[in-house]
Amino acid sequence: MEGDERRVSKAVQWTLGVGLSVSALLMLAGLAGSLAAGRRLPKAVLEPGAAFGQAVHLHAAGLLSLGLLVLVLTPFLRVAGTLVVFLRQHDWRYTAVTAVVLTVMIVSLFVGQA
Amino acid sequence: MTFVAILLVAVAVGVVGSMLGIGGGLMLVPILTLFLGVPMKTAIGCSLVSVIATSSAAQIVYVGRGTTHTRLGMTLEVTTTLGALAGGVTAVLISGRVLQGLFAAILVWAAYSMMGRGRDAEAALTGRLDTSFVTPDGAEVAYGVRHFPLGMAASFVAGNVSGLLGVGGGVVKVPVMNLVMRVPLRAAIATSNFMIGVTAATSAAVYFGRGLIEPRVAVPTALGILVGAQVGPRVAARTPVARLRLIFQVVLVVLAVQMVWKAVSG
Repeated sequence: MEGDERRVSKAVQWTLGVGLSVSALLMLAGLAGSLAAGRRLPKAVLEPGAAFGQAVHLHAAGLLSLGLLVLVLTPFLRVAGTLVVFLRQHDWRYTAVTAVVLTVMIVSLFVGQA
Repeated sequence: MTFVAILLVAVAVGVVGSMLGIGGGLMLVPILTLFLGVPMKTAIGCSLVSVIATSSAAQIVYVGRGTTHTRLGMTLEVTTTLGALAGGVTAVLISGRVLQGLFAAILVWAAYSMMGRGRDAEAALTGRLDTSFVTPDGAEVAYGVRHFPLGMAASFVAGNVSGLLGVGGGVVKVPVMNLVMRVPLRAAIATSNFMIGVTAATSAAVYFGRGLIEPRVAVPTALGILVGAQVGPRVAARTPVARLRLIFQVVLVVLAVQMVWKAVSG
């Protein structure tokens, strides 16, 4: 059990670390781009597809939106990662519990009210 | 100028929120709307982003020390979500003012109960979700969960009510785990910190999809929080449990006063 817990922790730390670093780097790059162009920060995020397209071309607005999107999606990654770890540990009960959480998260994406 | 102001506020909110296992929306939304002239809807979207940043950054520290009880968090996440989904039913049954009044009473009760005990929930293995974490001074605390069904019921109610009252879950989750399930305060804070990120992510994604997140405000907030929430857990580690509890009690009472005020004026 002890070793299992440690593996869960490592996986979670790694997922969060990658998500947050990528997000922060994108936002900082977007900020630098906006400053260099002497532009103010945008008033609305771009839709995910456009954010990605613009970020690839290093446009500031795209980088900023994509950075925020990566941040927002990081907990989804974390829950998905935890699911994989429980699955590998054959911990069926918590695989099921985590699957329910992830399903609710994904379903709410489509039916959610802002 | 505003950028720097938001960044600094966010660092502070990140420190406090991650220390206490709460999202910080309670602090952030009023500051953004009242002092920095940010519209309400933008402030809420921004607050959701800040909860995710608080949770994710602090979790790197909390998970590393084993303080977060992932299995317990996932389980309570299910009941809290079910409670939130059933929120509509409660809204029909009980008037908003009565709900606010009841909620305020529960908050005061929680603050009082935390005071009543000289010590933290006594850690003991119970055979239910047993786990352990290492305290800042290097001692290993092994504990299990008590009153599991009651805790599940309480978090159902917490999820049900917090959505209706526009309160983030952390302020309720920490007392439920600490007082009802007898989870040590540090573990309750870390586990709540984990759960609020999961809950906020769904709403934040919906806000993002509708273009309701303003990079102008959200980017400095997120960057500030990412710094503050790395510091918070380390400050919390050096803070004695008694003082952490005291700070938490103050937050509970402030929120209770705010609720009563809303019930009376609203």
